[in-house]
Amino acid sequence: MSTAAAHGAHADAHEHHHESFIRKYIFSTDHKMISRQFLITGIVMGVIGMVMSILFRLQLAWPDQKFAILEMLLGRWAKGGVLDANFYMALVTIHGTIMVFYVLTAGLSGTFSNLLIPLQCGARDMASPFMNMLSYWFFFLSSVVLCWSFFVETGPASAGWTVYPPLSALEKAMPGSGFGMTLWLVAIALFIVSALLGGVNYISTVLNMRTKGMSMNRLPLTIWAFFFTAILGLLSFPVLLGAALFLIFDRSFGTSFYLSDIWLNGVGALENVGGSPILYQHLFWFLGHPEVYIILMPALGITSEVIATNARKPIFGYTAMVISLMGISILSFIVWGHHMFITGMNPFLGSVFMFLTLVIAVPSAVKVFNYLTTLWRGNIRFTPAMLFAIGLVSFFISGGLTGIYLGNAALDINLHDSYFVVAHFHLVMGSAAIFGMFSGIYHWFPKMFGRLMNNTLGYFHFWLTFIAAYLVFFPMHFMGLAGVPRRYYAFSVIPEFNVWLEVNQLITVAAIMAGFAQVLFLWNFFYSIFRGKKSDANPWNSNTLEWSTPVEHIHGNWPGEIPTVYRGPYEYSREDREEDFYPQHIPGDDEGHGHGAPKTKSAPVHTEEPAAQSGNVLFSALKKVFGFSPR
Amino acid sequence: MKKMMFGWSGAKLFLLASLLLTATLAPLSVFAQADPASDVIPAPKEFSLSTSDLVSYAYWVLALLVLLVIVYIFNIGAASEKLTGRAVINWTKVNAWMSIIFLVAGSAGVAYELIYHGKLLLPEAASAHGDSIDNMFNWTFGITFVVFVVTEVLLFYFLFKYRQKEGQKAAYYFHNNQLEIIWTIVPAIVLTFLVLRGYSTWHNITQTPEPKAKQIEIFGYQFGWKARYAGDDNKFGEANFNFIDPATNELGLAIKPSVIALRDTLVADTGRLGKDLRTLPAILKQKADQLSKMSLAADGKAYTDLEQELEDIRNGNKASELRKMMKRKGVQIQRINATLASKDMFNEAANDDKVTTEIHLIKDQPYTFRYRARDVIHSAYMPYFRAQMNVVPGMLTSFTFTPTKTTKQMQDEEKNPEFQFYLFCAKICGSAHYNMKIKIVVESESEYNAWIEKQKRVVEPVQPEAPAAPAAGSDTTATPKTAIKSNQKPSLAMGF
Repeated sequence: MSTAAAHGAHADAHEHHHESFIRKYIFSTDHKMISRQFLITGIVMGVIGMVMSILFRLQLAWPDQKFAILEMLLGRWAKGGVLDANFYMALVTIHGTIMVFYVLTAGLSGTFSNLLIPLQCGARDMASPFMNMLSYWFFFLSSVVLCWSFFVETGPASAGWTVYPPLSALEKAMPGSGFGMTLWLVAIALFIVSALLGGVNYISTVLNMRTKGMSMNRLPLTIWAFFFTAILGLLSFPVLLGAALFLIFDRSFGTSFYLSDIWLNGVGALENVGGSPILYQHLFWFLGHPEVYIILMPALGITSEVIATNARKPIFGYTAMVISLMGISILSFIVWGHHMFITGMNPFLGSVFMFLTLVIAVPSAVKVFNYLTTLWRGNIRFTPAMLFAIGLVSFFISGGLTGIYLGNAALDINLHDSYFVVAHFHLVMGSAAIFGMFSGIYHWFPKMFGRLMNNTLGYFHFWLTFIAAYLVFFPMHFMGLAGVPRRYYAFSVIPEFNVWLEVNQLITVAAIMAGFAQVLFLWNFFYSIFRGKKSDANPWNSNTLEWSTPVEHIHGNWPGEIPTVYRGPYEYSREDREEDFYPQHIPGDDEGHGHGAPKTKSAPVHTEEPAAQSGNVLFSALKKVFGFSPR
Repeated sequence: MKKMMFGWSGAKLFLLASLLLTATLAPLSVFAQADPASDVIPAPKEFSLSTSDLVSYAYWVLALLVLLVIVYIFNIGAASEKLTGRAVINWTKVNAWMSIIFLVAGSAGVAYELIYHGKLLLPEAASAHGDSIDNMFNWTFGITFVVFVVTEVLLFYFLFKYRQKEGQKAAYYFHNNQLEIIWTIVPAIVLTFLVLRGYSTWHNITQTPEPKAKQIEIFGYQFGWKARYAGDDNKFGEANFNFIDPATNELGLAIKPSVIALRDTLVADTGRLGKDLRTLPAILKQKADQLSKMSLAADGKAYTDLEQELEDIRNGNKASELRKMMKRKGVQIQRINATLASKDMFNEAANDDKVTTEIHLIKDQPYTFRYRARDVIHSAYMPYFRAQMNVVPGMLTSFTFTPTKTTKQMQDEEKNPEFQFYLFCAKICGSAHYNMKIKIVVESESEYNAWIEKQKRVVEPVQPEAPAAPAAGSDTTATPKTAIKSNQKPSLAMGF
């Protein structure tokens, strides 16, 4: 008996069963509910992170100005309305942590992997719904612990989001390295548990639970992206866990993994010898660099889907897109050293890492050109989701190109830890990924909540955010090129930096503008959940499987049998069809000419193992290795 | 499509847009007069309601207002759509034109940035290797700028050109091997060029031995820098973090009398700590008496502090803290004792070293900066020399470069008589990270010689009548009485 049928029976049994509030909304094992939980938590954390950024931007733009509101909000952290230097560091640190881990990893990948992997693969739920629930609740707990650190007397962790020891290891090195740092480490450990539980689930679902006909080369690019993301997370997060554990040991149990030869003000010479602070950096960036792609790849996957759907065109070069994702994934593990060119690492290693880093630009360039060609001769429909996807491509170009500067060890000597770096990663992984997330929210909102968001507000939201983001981050390149270092509370160190005060003010105003634009989004989002226009089953005329489910969420996703898949996901604007879309699950005479078409035309469509017939060496190899069946 | 659009009247749109604009620009116009010279660290000011406070309140009120207006317009829009049954604005057209406007405005913005902010960038490199970095930068900039312009223009042009139109059908075009091979290979070739060039630049800067380089030790700590010159013997004395005494031997140099004095202080400290530990019960009683005479209302913070102190004694925190301190100092004493016999360590090479609060360099002379950190990781950043290297505790790092412009020359070039080179910290290192710097003066050989002559040795050679002179290597914050002061019998111990 097939598992699908078993699930079907299971779903039927549940149809008339009324779930308790707690089972349905809190400890839910339904992937659609978990996805919504991830999204809402992610949005809340995102708002916190954004407000923090505006607070420290105020300090940078008007260092002499008193803001009564700050004292009102922050109390002793902003005595007299001026932000405290230590608290500035805390804000920068927690802003980074929240945005990188809580919003762009859990909020983005957690939300859309959970929502789309079962729906687009054609599964009733995740491979392990219970683990999936645990994944969310570990994430929630982790968020709570991180927020708790704001109510600690010595303040939250303040050593930068990378928390390099010895600064983060020694309680007396700065106030933020006290109990706040302990909480940070606990929060991250919990977060890693959540990420791993999620990742194992995503991988096994994609490999084992695809519906009939859904061979790997008929998977939507979103699923490919989530799949590679999960693999990256599964392989790299444990290393961060190790790094964090060593740091906890150094902090609390007197070990010397990262500490050696230290004389600390107010303490004296420490006993620790033999450790190396550079070890931490190696461990951290072994996660840290793949993390960039853990953030970005889901956004790229979403963009591929949204651009194809709204340009009403097949995505150009499906196979190239998958291979470039794979290339980026593999390379991302062997480039971490480019964060450490000038840490005293052997310069020869620097050359190796430079070479590997710049190689990443090739698959990235392929992706950009493929997006452009997908738009070329399309019939572009401007939904807010589409605009945000375009915004992502634009940021990916402008932020990606500056990576070529920073990946070059020789240029990095002068750009390292300057505002150029800030500009680079805020564009390529900050703005780009957040735009991917917005794109996903606008696109799949009808699937998540059964209603449509308001397009007009969406347009305002997009253009304001898009322009503001460029205004914020583009001038930062120039500050970096002038040698302005990052994480400075005030630019008093050399008088030449004073010329940038005006630019800092422009940036802050633009940041506030971006903040206002997000108010539009929040309003639109929460209003539409309850009062938005009711959506059709397939509001965007899309091909993928998730739109074949009913608007009302049901346990098990499809009321009857899970649909069979007959062709690839991007059969838009076929000449032989009147409609400009051709959903994957609609039976038809032929299987499409594009990707996902069987190599031998005469091959039967319904087979037990379609993956085997794709004839693709790669997929066959994968199948051999993992021993998975596509059903 | 139409179903999804809401009707909007132009006036309301304008109202919304202008409100948003005012909301965002309001603080700019008010704060534009703020003093731009912010080189003074903003000290916490007294709390009072000033104009700026009112503005910041007004700002939030405005934000609320905008929100309300949005809610209002939102409802109206929905209602008008219901009434007329058609969309007022063709959003496809608006968005298509917006992308063109964005393209034009964006290009203007980029041009403005390049022209206006481009002028504020670093001047020509003041070091020999800096030119090669600048050259590498220019090549990278040239290539990436072309790619940037071409791809961004195509992106927004396609948006405009291929916007949805009545009766238009997209091309069913999914694949072209040739095209894809081309745009894999072309970037690969361009990047190969950049990698090779980058490699040779990097190799020349970091892996080319410079036999004539003079060495200077740069010592970073929370929050400042010190420089150490090797002195007449051209040999750096040994140093160890266990020898550091902030008052007399800031860099932890191997100067026997100073280290012995430090050990003796540590021994005395340990004794005192032990005594404290033994008398804790008595201290507890005394403090409890003291507390009973105070009241929370009258003494406030003093009362709560004392209460906390008592609590720490009672629950054993104080005792364990004292024990930890004793253990730490014991380890340090052991380590000092273990090294004291070493002739290699205490070879007197440190005596003629010169510790300074400024770095002076000779123009066109290669230098190797050897970096040492006292506490946490710092980064020694000198943008004008295109030089940066992390300063890591427990690990020696170095950077070799040749300054090619004197400070005077830079002052003339920059038309700024105040101009100075600085080395400052670029790696987050604590609360005063933003203010951690040391001045660098590049000058002619004769000027340098005059300056270095004037710098004091760490241990002055003993002259019969000369009073104990303060050694160099101290700034106003550290006590000026350095090594020699603690060195009770320099002639005996040092063998002069």
